[in-house]
Amino acid sequence: MTRADPEYGHLIPLLEEYASTGADDPRRETLRAALVTGFLPVAQHIARRFSNRGEPLDDLVQVATVGLINAVDRFSPERGSDFFSFAVPTISGEVRRHFRDLGWSMRVPRRLKDLHVSINGVVSELSQSLGRAPKPTEIAERLGLPVSEVLEGLEASEAYRSSSLDEMLSSEQGSATVGELVGEADAELNRVDFRQALRPVLGELAPRERTILLLRFFGNMTQTQIAQEVGISQMHVSRLLTQTLDRLRNRLDPETRVG
Amino acid sequence: MSDAETLDGMSTVEVRTSATAALIPTIRAVASDLAARADFDLDAISDLRMAVDEACATLVDAADPTSVLQCRFLVRPERIRVHAEVETAKADTVLSTDTFGWRVLQTLADDVEVLHEAGVDGRRATVGIRLDKSAGDVPR
Amino acid sequence: MSDAAPDPFGVGLPLDTQLSRPRPGSVLLAVDGEIDTLTAARLQAGVDEAVEAARADGASVVADLSGVTFLASSGLAVLIGAARRLAELGGRLHLVAASRAVTRPLQVTGADALFDIHDDVTSALETARFPDVAPPPGEVGR
Repeated sequence: MTRADPEYGHLIPLLEEYASTGADDPRRETLRAALVTGFLPVAQHIARRFSNRGEPLDDLVQVATVGLINAVDRFSPERGSDFFSFAVPTISGEVRRHFRDLGWSMRVPRRLKDLHVSINGVVSELSQSLGRAPKPTEIAERLGLPVSEVLEGLEASEAYRSSSLDEMLSSEQGSATVGELVGEADAELNRVDFRQALRPVLGELAPRERTILLLRFFGNMTQTQIAQEVGISQMHVSRLLTQTLDRLRNRLDPETRVG
Repeated sequence: MSDAETLDGMSTVEVRTSATAALIPTIRAVASDLAARADFDLDAISDLRMAVDEACATLVDAADPTSVLQCRFLVRPERIRVHAEVETAKADTVLSTDTFGWRVLQTLADDVEVLHEAGVDGRRATVGIRLDKSAGDVPR
Repeated sequence: MSDAAPDPFGVGLPLDTQLSRPRPGSVLLAVDGEIDTLTAARLQAGVDEAVEAARADGASVVADLSGVTFLASSGLAVLIGAARRLAELGGRLHLVAASRAVTRPLQVTGADALFDIHDDVTSALETARFPDVAPPPGEVGR
């Protein structure tokens, strides 16, 4: 997807205009609504890619739309990357966070949740009295349950999240720095299999971009270390990495190929 | 007595996957399941799961890209033996045993051994890891 | 690397990381899923950003592992490396570890001595509220 895309090309000037409006500019709400409505198919497309995890598509589209609104609000055209390279990971990130927060409560039926709580309750007590971790039969006897139920409960508990993050996190979304967002983009690509896939496309890059990518993904250097190595500022490294990764991501990651 | 059992009460479970890291979680799940059903204590279950993961990951790293990862579990009351194996491109592929991961594997399992088999009669060379884990107390 | 598809189930990597700053002086890295050879690189990337953010702003680092369902030696290596880097900067790596899948590997390898380990995020952030990594002299936070 590029600026020249006929489907979304008309929205680019709106993005630039929106980015230039102040908080109390009367045009702001209208522009925002037009942008979110205009890019909505992108959010729907991303939501559909997560639709095989047992969550209703409508909920996912809602979550993805929140991600899209965040992307529209936070995009700055002078960053030099096109909107999709920024919006797609922002929207996917929002949907992933949704699954992360749901995790336990949506995937596991109540019976197993209660079972897990019961098991947890007796495990520490039994560990104390036995002087070691308990066995499934010992847990079953203590709970007065058949072993098969305890086995089922233990298996389900491998998916358990024992604590959830509170609103402290969501309030941070608004003040995320460019560095954090780039970090998310880097993390998306920093998979072992992508490192293999990156090798052939490295030859297409300009020497400095290639050096920076190599140092980042094969040398495991931080942006600051790369900046020192290459002789430019860390912010400049950050910007170059984002641009390069965005270009490569569209070629490599089927999840971000929109449309 | 079924085919799966022998006179000494041992049952066999075998899992074969492509030699890729993405399929090791499935082998871990089988290891957890068997240890839980054999009434291992919760720490021993966790240790076996982690040991099997370590062995499989080490072997996948050394495997020929077209290889299969074969993992055989020999289940007895109180003890499980795991035998994992891959085909290698070269007959003299050596497994690195001075790594952090190998030291962790030795801590988790009661006993670990590397096995090499040179390819003979048209069969490919293989390298494997055999480990044993018992059900009870694990010394720190 | 095998010829088999890197993503055989078509659902991407079974590990998510998310960086945030819940309060001044702390950097929180939330980790969810399985940490093994397939996903360790993603954990490394998240940890790198957290350590870098802590170094740049002068902050403590909390890694919330309460959503981690499996921790392999490759993951342990990433955490130990991070603890070492933070130690060079005068800080500790705070971990939230509540399930056996995380506490057992830490305990059985003796690696638990290298971290400050907490039962839940709230108490970890309480303990880590005073930044233990000093910002670089003369540098204003990002």
